[in-house]
Amino acid sequence: MPRSWSSSMAAVWAVLRKECRSEWRTRYGLNAALLFAVASLAAVSFSAGRLGERTDVLAALFWIVLLFATLASMSHAFVRETENRTMLLLRLVASPTEIALGKLLFNLVFLLVVEVAIVPLFMVLMSAPPPRWGSFLTVLGLGTVSLAASSTLVGAVIAQTRGRGALFAGVSLPLLLPVLAAAVSGTKAQWIGVGLDGEIRLLIAYAVALLGMSLLLYEHLWED
Amino acid sequence: MLWRWLIFIWIAAFMIAAFAWAPLVPVLEATTRVLYFHIPAAWVTVLALGWSMIHSALYLWKRDMRHDDQAAAAAELGLLFCVVATVSGSLWAKAMWGSYWNWDPRETSIFFVLLLYAAYLALRGSIEGEEKRARLSAVYSVIAFVAVPFLMFVVPRIYFSLHPEVIDLSRGKVDMDPRIRICFSGMLVGFTFLYFWLQSLKVRVTRLERRALVS
Amino acid sequence: MNSHDLTVLGVALLVWGLLFLWLLRIDKRVKDLEKQ
Repeated sequence: MPRSWSSSMAAVWAVLRKECRSEWRTRYGLNAALLFAVASLAAVSFSAGRLGERTDVLAALFWIVLLFATLASMSHAFVRETENRTMLLLRLVASPTEIALGKLLFNLVFLLVVEVAIVPLFMVLMSAPPPRWGSFLTVLGLGTVSLAASSTLVGAVIAQTRGRGALFAGVSLPLLLPVLAAAVSGTKAQWIGVGLDGEIRLLIAYAVALLGMSLLLYEHLWED
Repeated sequence: MLWRWLIFIWIAAFMIAAFAWAPLVPVLEATTRVLYFHIPAAWVTVLALGWSMIHSALYLWKRDMRHDDQAAAAAELGLLFCVVATVSGSLWAKAMWGSYWNWDPRETSIFFVLLLYAAYLALRGSIEGEEKRARLSAVYSVIAFVAVPFLMFVVPRIYFSLHPEVIDLSRGKVDMDPRIRICFSGMLVGFTFLYFWLQSLKVRVTRLERRALVS
Repeated sequence: MNSHDLTVLGVALLVWGLLFLWLLRIDKRVKDLEKQ
């Protein structure tokens, strides 16, 4: 059903608010992500010891912790709907694209909250040298957009498979490996102090391609 | 039947020509010849994965099961040729660089392509219902192909790689001895026809299987 | 072309020939099944 721009935006906003509210009620996903992040950070930092000067290792560890913490928890945005059998209800009030966009925004907010917790914790526990915040946050932000875009699309697909959550990490990870490679090398570059234009351009191009393709695909996620 | 024998003779003839007629590149010496096998395999990988993506998009548009058969067969064959390219590349790396695998950007990106389409097949296997499987795998196949050009063409040009660039896209010309170029182009054409033969076989087998299931 | 090259070429041709015959057999079998 074709609807006006403003009512579509209202639907997207309503889905986002509903997501935030139901997440806040249980904080199941957030707790899982934070717990996972803290536990893996602790494990990494006591087994690797102080890595202050090894910025290459630090960059890799940072992104691996972030990636796995989100992969461990992000599939539930859609799996929850399937398990509670609320997907049909949601489909009645909003179009597939509106639902997916709402979930995409929710995933972005979710990732930002997780990152606000992980970044300072990582810097303290790993005794990392202070990053150049401008470059660091650019790489982090672009990586986050790609992460959210791929998690939304893959999450919606995975929620309809037999194993539900089981395949999510395995199917998301290959899509995110180019992001991981560029983000790790960009994070390393800002610590060393060399230019990272190539990485940033790659991250932008990948995020735009993922988002653009997702927008075309969202309407095929559910059968009418 | 005739054109199948033509494919056989075509590829066999260029194999003989590659050994008996084409010269060797100075630094690469005897390993030059992997060129006639490795690059056509990599080319067919991209071709097959692109074919899979196009038919996935067509499926989403037309909702015709025949497009899903094409997309699934192409993804499987793409994965097969990707393995062929990876293994031949790895053997070449052992001869030239001294180790089978050392995460050169080229090796990294082809490994990511392998994972991507292995995930596609895992996904296909875990969805019940023919229509749903076709629709969801089509969605994944289209989004997966977004990553392929990045991995195959962009990443190896941004990061420093030891991999020789036979076809330099930035200068738009091919740096090759004319005899090598003829053998190389011949193999490209031969592999392409071989791929389409395999593709049609695979699709026909899928249809036979479906017919057997229905009856 | 030395003897080593000849051996490699021979093995390559043999593998390609066997692969081709195998594919040809599958092709025939598929055709028969399609006729049924």
